[in-house]
Parts: sequence; C-alpha cells; structure tokens
Amino acid sequence: MSGRQNKRATAAFVLAAVVPIFLLLLSLNIGAYRIPPKAVFSTLVGAVFPGGVAGGPSAYADILFRIRLPRLLLALFAGAALAVSGASLQAIFKNPLVFEFSLGISYGAAFGAALSLVFLGHKVPAQAAAFVFAVVAVLAVLFIAGKAASQVVTILLSGVIVSALFQALLSLVEFFANPYALQSLIFWLMGSLAQADWKDLGVTLPVIGIGVTVLILLRWRMNVLSLGDDEARALGVNIRREKITVIILAALITAAATAVTGVISWVGLIVPHLVRMAVGADNRKVIPLSAAYGASLLIVADDIARSAASFEIPIGILTSVVGIPFFIVLLKKSGKIWL
Amino acid sequence: MAVKIRVEDLHFSYGDFSLRVVGQMFAQARVTSIVGPNGAGKSTFLKCLAAILSPSRGSVFVDGRNLAGLSGKSRARLVGYVPQEPAFTFNYSVLDFVLTGRAAFIPVFSSPSRHDIAAAEAALGYVGLADFTSRPFFELSSGERRLVLIARTLAQEPDILLLDEPTTFLDPRHEIEILELIRRLATEMGKTVIVTLHALDMAVKYSDEMVFMKGGGIVAAGRSTDILSEDLLKDVYDIEMSILTVNGRQLIVR
Repeated sequence: MSGRQNKRATAAFVLAAVVPIFLLLLSLNIGAYRIPPKAVFSTLVGAVFPGGVAGGPSAYADILFRIRLPRLLLALFAGAALAVSGASLQAIFKNPLVFEFSLGISYGAAFGAALSLVFLGHKVPAQAAAFVFAVVAVLAVLFIAGKAASQVVTILLSGVIVSALFQALLSLVEFFANPYALQSLIFWLMGSLAQADWKDLGVTLPVIGIGVTVLILLRWRMNVLSLGDDEARALGVNIRREKITVIILAALITAAATAVTGVISWVGLIVPHLVRMAVGADNRKVIPLSAAYGASLLIVADDIARSAASFEIPIGILTSVVGIPFFIVLLKKSGKIWL
Repeated sequence: MAVKIRVEDLHFSYGDFSLRVVGQMFAQARVTSIVGPNGAGKSTFLKCLAAILSPSRGSVFVDGRNLAGLSGKSRARLVGYVPQEPAFTFNYSVLDFVLTGRAAFIPVFSSPSRHDIAAAEAALGYVGLADFTSRPFFELSSGERRLVLIARTLAQEPDILLLDEPTTFLDPRHEIEILELIRRLATEMGKTVIVTLHALDMAVKYSDEMVFMKGGGIVAAGRSTDILSEDLLKDVYDIEMSILTVNGRQLIVR
C-alpha cells in the first residue's frame, strides 16, 4: 500500500469511529415534528442521568426514544449489515459485482418475511423465515452455478435466476394477500425503516451485531479466501468450511435486516467499492470500514427519505435511484480494473 | 541421499485422462524437474503431491508421513505450492499478498502479527523484492509476479516447494533469474524443490534429477546424465532431437 493510501486509511478509520455516531445524534433532530436541538440534547442527557438535567416535555422523549432512536439504530445496524455482507461475499466469491442482491439473498429473505407476515401471522418470526429463505436462495445459486461457481458470469446469471424465482413467489404471496396486508407488504417491500420498534430490534440488533462482529474478526481470512481455491487449499485453509461460515453469516445479517426494513439494495455493492477505492483491497480495512460507512450511508439515506418531501420516500427506492447511476459511473471509470 | 517424498501407486483421473505413478522418490534438498509434452500429467502430478487433488488410490509420504492423514495446516507447513499465475480479483499490495502465505500460522479469527509481517518481508527480501512491499500486485511484470508467488510460498516456511511452470512466458533474463533462485532454495535453504518445466535445456542445467512424463505416467527418472538419450526424447515428445555435449554440459538441439 502506498504512503498516500496509508494516510487515507488512517483518516478513514478515524472518521469511521466518529461519523456514524455523529450522524445518529444529528439525525435525532430530523423529523416531521420539530424538536429544538437544545431540547433533543437535554432529553438525551435527562435519559442518561435521570434527576440531573431536566428533560424536555414528555412528548419529546416519546418521539425521540420510541420513534427516532429505534429507527436510527435500525438504519445504523442494517446499513452495516448490508455493506459488510456485500464486502464479505465479494471477497469469497472473488467477484466485485456480487452482493446479497445479486446472489438472490435479498429476495429470498423478502419472500420468507412476506410469507411470515401474510400467511403465518407471525407464528414463525419474520426474521427466521427470512433467514431460511436467504440460505435457500444462496444454496440454489451455488447449485445452479455448479462447478463454475467461481466464474463471474455464471454466479451472476444464477443469481438472476434465483432472484427471479423468489420475485415470482413473492408476487404469488401478494396475489393471495388480503388488501390490507397487501398494502403494508408493498410498502414494506420498497424498503422502509418506519417499522422499527424496540420489540423487533430486540432480535434484529443482536443478530446483526453478532454477525457483523464475527465477519469483522474474519477480515484477514477473507484475503486468503479471495485467492484461487487451489492456492487457498495449498495454504492449509479449509475453504469449504470457511466459505460456508461466511455465506451463512452474510445471509443471516442480510435476512435480519431485510425482515424489518424490506428490500434495500445497492448498499452492499457501493459501500465496499468506495472503501476499496479509498484504502485499497485489503479486507482487514475493507470489512470494518464498510460496516461504519454502510451504517452512515443508510442514516443519511433515511434522513433524506424522511425530510426531502412532505411524504416519506421509501428508502429502497432512494438507494436504487441514487445507487444505480452512481454504479454506472464507477463502472465506466474503473474500466476493467477492479480494486 | 535422504528421501523426502515417496509416492506409492498413485492414481488420479478426470474425464478421459488418468494419472498413474507406480512409485517415485524425491531426494531432500534437491531440485527435480518434471518434463514432458502438454497433457502428460505434469501439473496434475504436482497437484497430487501438493494434496490439492486427492488421488483415487495410492499415497504420498513426506518424511514417512502420509500427506492424506495430515490436517491442512500441518500439510501447508510441509508442502508449498506455487501456481503459474495467481487466481485473484482484488488488487492487493505485494506485502498483503505474500502475507496470505502465513495462513497456516494464523488462527482463523486473527490477523497477521508482527512476526508474520517480518516473515513475509524476509521472504520478499530473499527473492530480491524487498522494496516492493507497497506495490499493487496488478502493476507487476510477469517475472516480478512469479517472484512474489515464490516469496509467498517461502513465507509459508514449507520443507518442500512445488512450482508449476514458473518460467512459462518469461523472457530469457527472468527465466534464468527464477531458475537460479530455485537452485538457491535447494542449496542455501535446504528446500526440496520439484518444478514442472517445458524448456529441456534449462531442466538439464538447473535440476539435480529429471522425471519424464507421458500419457499420465512416468517414463524415466534419474540424473540427466544417466537417463537422457535421443531415444527417450523421441519416445516422450514424438519428434527427433539430438543431444550434444559441450564442456561436459548436455545441450538438446531440435
């Protein structure tokens, strides 16, 4: 790594430690109901040190702690999950174009969650159903790709097939859903953090937290797994076991996020790519930085979704509308060389 | 001469091709070159020796221990494999790439320690690329890439190095640079080196022993002065070649 890139990496890590928390605190001030920044501060301090500084009116505390904070924490964790999942999958598939969306994981998870919401009436938690179908999707992609799974085109085409299948199954769920369920299902599918409540987060946040932590611990190993299979085997690596571990963790955190947020695409592709452009390809940096910047990106995207118009723009639409042209520019600029 | 590797009744097949090596020994701290026409099974044999491919029958013993019975980590500390070209997508720095050679020493959930970094830097120094640590791998020439691949395998600290056509597509200067490095690995570091080569002259000059392969089997093995003959070359390559001896050195003329 060059000296310039070294400096950039140091700066990126310093910012990564500060930016997500700063954005979270800043975003607590954004919302339809205006709360003065001073009141936000005093309510927060009042919650941390009860009996100390006087908190604001109780409505402020309700809005901040029941609506905004869970929503922002979901943005933080879901953004980290999607970006880390994308970066990890790109490493082990040796393919910078792969992410949870192109491997069918997103639509697999969405189908599972929809099935739970519409037909199972929460008897099977949406997270569990989302995880099962996310794993089914990725296994189906690997099965279809067969021995050519390490080839870029094969894996992408297999992902397209599996995504199409789960989209069709999702349409079937929509077809049979009652009008009320259908409306909330469609809105949820567009991606939204509005559903965040502490009950769901009680499951989602620990699952994402553990999954992301383990993937961050595996960060250097992903450098080894991104080599050719023959090479990695000759280096003493149990490729099958380690790759399956990464795939299951990536599917788990994507499913945990998707089950609450709906389909939010492109984060897993764009964030790791930007990080690689800034600090190089070493996964020791890419994986943890993707977590921090994925979290930051989703907080900003949600702020825009909430405040750009008088109504809430579904965040999944926003990330796609911004993400796709952004990605096209990246693709044109990078030519055939990928970092 | 101590035997480092013993191959017993090795069978491996895929599609129409099958490799069968009844028996073969490789001496410690010697360079053995495996030669033969395309499709003779050289690379397949090498991958079986590296335990990258699992033979359907037979065994490879290193210091009397069956490779198939060892864990991946233990195997990696005994046998290192140098592919022709690395198969990776991401543009790692040379040091990051060489560090992957330390995988057998680093627990799954850990990252390289200072000791690992020192080992990788020492390996790069040994192949003459001490100043290349921060260079992006994709910017290296073919010759430099081959040296980095060898450095990675040295960082792995194996007793045995298996190199798959390390000189293919290289200009004469880089070809000789690599072959001289390979000789030093045996003479200076005491490594047992097995290398597949196409250039017969170079194989004769730089190896202690030669193994001739054809159609998935070994046709002849031993010191070139003992086994090399025009009849053998005709049999293996199916073309006429002459052997000239100049100043005690065998030259092959097509």
